[in-house]
Amino acid sequence: MQESVALSRRDFMKGGIAIGSCVIFGATAATLAAGKANADDADSLAGVQYGFLVDLNKCVGCENCVAACRKYNHLSEDTPNRRKVTKFTNSRQEDVYVSTSCMHCAEPSCERVCPSGAISKGNAGIVSTDKDRCIGCKYCFQACPYGVPHYNSVAMDKCDCCLDAGIVPGQTPYCVQNCKFGALRYGSMEELKEFARGNAVPIGTPNDPSCLVIGEGR
Amino acid sequence: MLQLTWGWQPALYLFLGGMGAGAFIMAAVLYLLDSTKHRLVVCASMYAAFASLAIGLLLLLAELISPARGLMMWASFSHFTSWMTYGAWGAFLAMIVFIVSALLATKQVGNWLNEKWKWYTPENSLKLRRGLAWAGIVLGAFVAVYTGMLLMSAGGVPLWNTLLLPLLFTVSAFDTGVALVEIIAVLLHKKDPLAEKAAALMERIVIALVVIELLVIAVFLGSMFAGGSAAAESAGMLVSGGLAAPFWIMIIVLGLALPLVMALACMLLKKKDANKDARPMMVIGAAGALIGGCELRFLILAAGIHAAVVSETIMGLLL
Repeated sequence: MQESVALSRRDFMKGGIAIGSCVIFGATAATLAAGKANADDADSLAGVQYGFLVDLNKCVGCENCVAACRKYNHLSEDTPNRRKVTKFTNSRQEDVYVSTSCMHCAEPSCERVCPSGAISKGNAGIVSTDKDRCIGCKYCFQACPYGVPHYNSVAMDKCDCCLDAGIVPGQTPYCVQNCKFGALRYGSMEELKEFARGNAVPIGTPNDPSCLVIGEGR
Repeated sequence: MLQLTWGWQPALYLFLGGMGAGAFIMAAVLYLLDSTKHRLVVCASMYAAFASLAIGLLLLLAELISPARGLMMWASFSHFTSWMTYGAWGAFLAMIVFIVSALLATKQVGNWLNEKWKWYTPENSLKLRRGLAWAGIVLGAFVAVYTGMLLMSAGGVPLWNTLLLPLLFTVSAFDTGVALVEIIAVLLHKKDPLAEKAAALMERIVIALVVIELLVIAVFLGSMFAGGSAAAESAGMLVSGGLAAPFWIMIIVLGLALPLVMALACMLLKKKDANKDARPMMVIGAAGALIGGCELRFLILAAGIHAAVVSETIMGLLL
């Protein structure tokens, strides 16, 4: 009886080890595969510039994008909005809205002037801030032609295409995900241009911004 | 709408840094011209130059979001595409040269070194101090130019985005530096009277600098009015807008016209009667130059607004 118990216990142990090994091996293989996939993604995104497309005909000024940005990026109370909606009035006295954030410029002057090297341009052309390196000199605000960088009590704060909120480079940030009117779009600049079929123009000329606008009536 | 992201601390730093650099250069020139004269004036001016720069840098540090991180200079100023990196190290080196020069210019320190350190003979002391004076002139000139380069190289503000701004700040740095040395010389008059030659040299420098500064301001503002809408708006704020009163009264009248008139009056007075005391005029002119120089940095910072790049594009896309 004891022997059989001993045997069965041994069998149980063997089986357990076998299953455990399988689980560990399987998990490791899965992790390695996932890691490789991520690395492949990262490699395929190297040199590809992603950006935003804003359609003036569709934005209603609801500021869902602003709220979603705040919510999913867990912005503290002392952090200014990363995205803003600006109202314009056309010749017919109608309100027209545009939602903008960091332009993730091809040649970001914030990155150039940062004395500590806290700002970098990474995968998918995303310009992001290392808050542990930022000294908070506010030179990047003076350098940015679009006046984008803002500051809280910790460091400079601006859009990073939701990198810190867990969105991998190349995936759609929360502001775009939460636009109910299809006024905001995210993608590679090539995709965005193709989608707009020649109806979009860059939001400005300085620094080659990664943000396109579809004008009224286009 | 004024530029408020950089407040009074950077503005005061730009003034104190420039004035300190200019004062050291003037003191070093006095020392190099004749190392036997103006010992006290040179020594006090070098301490004042150091104090100005040090207070300015402390103000900058206090304005940072993370001052403690800013103190770790090797990490925080390690990105050499930024002018701020060069400026931080340049100002740091200048501060060291300024304080060592000031200490060596102090009689007691000189005597003590002479006693304790064999190498420090009067000849070697002269060589060392002359070397430091030249190093301080180079570093001081760099700091003076840098205060303008910092704004120019930012690039996002049209008013600042011109080589004329470093030129204006450099001329003003020398101008305010000379003013500080003049005030120190007047205060130390009883112990270390200023030689006629030195006083005349400073008056001539003041006249030349004021004339150059007026020309640079005119060309600078003219080019802004001829530039884009944001540049013209900034220039308009200074000349006829919300900042016009301090611009005309403090910068043009007190900062430039008054020192020019006082320096000319000093020269005329001395021509008529070499024994006349021109010190009150020298102090009045110098005080005006300091007020104007300080206000210049505050107003240039305040008027530095961004161009409305996005709005201009969107306006062109509306029906």
